[in-house]
Amino acid sequence: MRVYILRRLLQIVPTVLGITLVVFLMMRSVPGDPVVSVLGDAYTEEDAIRAREEYGLNKPILVQYLIWLGKLVQGDWGASILTGRPVLEDVLIRLPVTLELIVLSMAVALLIAIPAGIIGAIRQNTWADYTATTVAMIGVSIPEFFIGVLLLLLFSFGLGGLLPSSGWIYLPGTCPTMVCGSSLWGNMTHVLMPALALGVGRAALLTRLLRASMLEVIRTEYVTTARAKGLSERPIVFKHALKNALIPTVTVMGLQIGFLIGGAIVVETLFAMPGLGTFGIDAIIARDYQQVQGFALLTALAFVVMNLLVDLSYTFLDPRIRYT
Amino acid sequence: MANGGESTGVKPQPISGGSTREAELPAVAWRAGGERAESPLVQGIRRFRRSTTALVGVGIVAALLLVAIFADVLAPLSPIASDQTRTFQRPGWDYPLGTDQLGRDMLSRIIHGSRISLAVGVSSVLLALFVGVPCGMVAGYYGGRVDGAIMRVMDLILAFPIYLLAIILMVMFTPTAGLIGTMKVTGAIAIVRIPIYARLVRGSALSIKEKEFIEACRALGVRDPSIIFRHILPNCLAPIIVTTTLGIATSIIVEATLSFLGLGTQPPTPSWGWDLKANISFIQSNAWLSLFPGLAIFVTVLGFNLFGDGLRDALDPRLK
Repeated sequence: MRVYILRRLLQIVPTVLGITLVVFLMMRSVPGDPVVSVLGDAYTEEDAIRAREEYGLNKPILVQYLIWLGKLVQGDWGASILTGRPVLEDVLIRLPVTLELIVLSMAVALLIAIPAGIIGAIRQNTWADYTATTVAMIGVSIPEFFIGVLLLLLFSFGLGGLLPSSGWIYLPGTCPTMVCGSSLWGNMTHVLMPALALGVGRAALLTRLLRASMLEVIRTEYVTTARAKGLSERPIVFKHALKNALIPTVTVMGLQIGFLIGGAIVVETLFAMPGLGTFGIDAIIARDYQQVQGFALLTALAFVVMNLLVDLSYTFLDPRIRYT
Repeated sequence: MANGGESTGVKPQPISGGSTREAELPAVAWRAGGERAESPLVQGIRRFRRSTTALVGVGIVAALLLVAIFADVLAPLSPIASDQTRTFQRPGWDYPLGTDQLGRDMLSRIIHGSRISLAVGVSSVLLALFVGVPCGMVAGYYGGRVDGAIMRVMDLILAFPIYLLAIILMVMFTPTAGLIGTMKVTGAIAIVRIPIYARLVRGSALSIKEKEFIEACRALGVRDPSIIFRHILPNCLAPIIVTTTLGIATSIIVEATLSFLGLGTQPPTPSWGWDLKANISFIQSNAWLSLFPGLAIFVTVLGFNLFGDGLRDALDPRLK
């Protein structure tokens, strides 16, 4: 097991290198020059050449990548071309916002999907099942931002401004600088709608999946055996069926991490949250190479680490699965 | 593929009821009597037609196709002509869905917006299909180094969070309006979706190539391209068709999301995602302006999802 984890951790390296290199090459091929926007109206050809030299933009692209990598190994994520601020610092300020959003939306998804999926399966072809499957069908068909808009209409504008429509208040203890405000209640009111907007669609997807695999599992022989030996329905569903049915669900949940990171960009934009998503898209559109690299690195890391955790969770769900 | 012609000489005898008569039939008629057994396709169509939700899906998709094709005829006004004297009209007789901040008729914009959504949704999936399916076929059939090389590229694309890659691609392509702009969005979404088809087809090809009829083909001297496209491909069509239909729904959501982020087809070309985003600033006083484009996206995606679900149940129940 330990060897397996170690090997998987080593495999992270080429994946992260691959993603950051591709992003690096793609960003460099975006038409336009960030130096032009840095210099603004004061643009002269001489200044531009000097600026390019200063940021190392005059070197061959692969050399630039290696320089970035070399600095990264020493813990230097570079500095933004446009603002001059260190990328690592900016990223760390924004990380807790997005992390909280993604974790909570995942929780929303599971809190809805597990009961709905179980009910859909054990009460197959009843009104409860039809309700669950219909709502799930609707859920997978609504884009996150439209759910967000509907929530805004309902809670921010409809119910007399019950929840704030934009901005952010940090969870106590997560604020990385001295200046940001933090309170538990304020944080909850700010994160509720974005987490729902991001989580509801995933909940619908997982409900459909869990219902289908529960239906399969409860027809297997070991469930029949469990029934035959007189077990009551509760331990059959939760101990025998659910754990096995959860395996495909967990796999898809892992694949959904990538989707959630992308979804965070959309939801953070809609609710004007100071998270990594808005940071990333602003950096990409402004062609702030260093910031984009930092964003891509963190995204890639989050993605591969989450997938590793998903693979490891299989051993918990099904002890027959062993990694050697 | 000439195995269907052998029974042409014998006319299948009509069988009417009693089992004793059936037993008296000559052996050759038994084979011709195979006509009674429905082909998987006919069975599939029968299952599909029995499902109400699938038919609702087909209805929505067909209606949307008609709206997109006849948008010029159906739209009461121009989707881009602004009328500064009639901004923010509430939905009513003159403007069934109201007007936006430039006085443009929302109904006409929604009708014309269907073109972008459907065009991008369908063509990006087809494009991904035309690249992904041959890649997956070749990788699965030949295996070894070819497989390794193709699938590493696919894995690299899959390793990206889908929106991140699509966003960077769109920034690279620089979004524009009109047909070219639509093609750029199509290309970006297609690139992101290629590995899905490649993986799907590779998996099927891997198992089918081990079957005996493929070995028979090889023994007969059938060439590789012919084996791949005439014998293996038809056998993995069911999952491909299902994934394609459901893929259109996903592509439409990705297109709407890119437009929402300002990276889709640019104005003045009407696009649902863009309209929703542009009108969010007025959401407090004019909620319907964001509501209608969102509903349009929802109904379209729902239509393709219902259609795809029905197809899956009908064609390949194992995929459930």
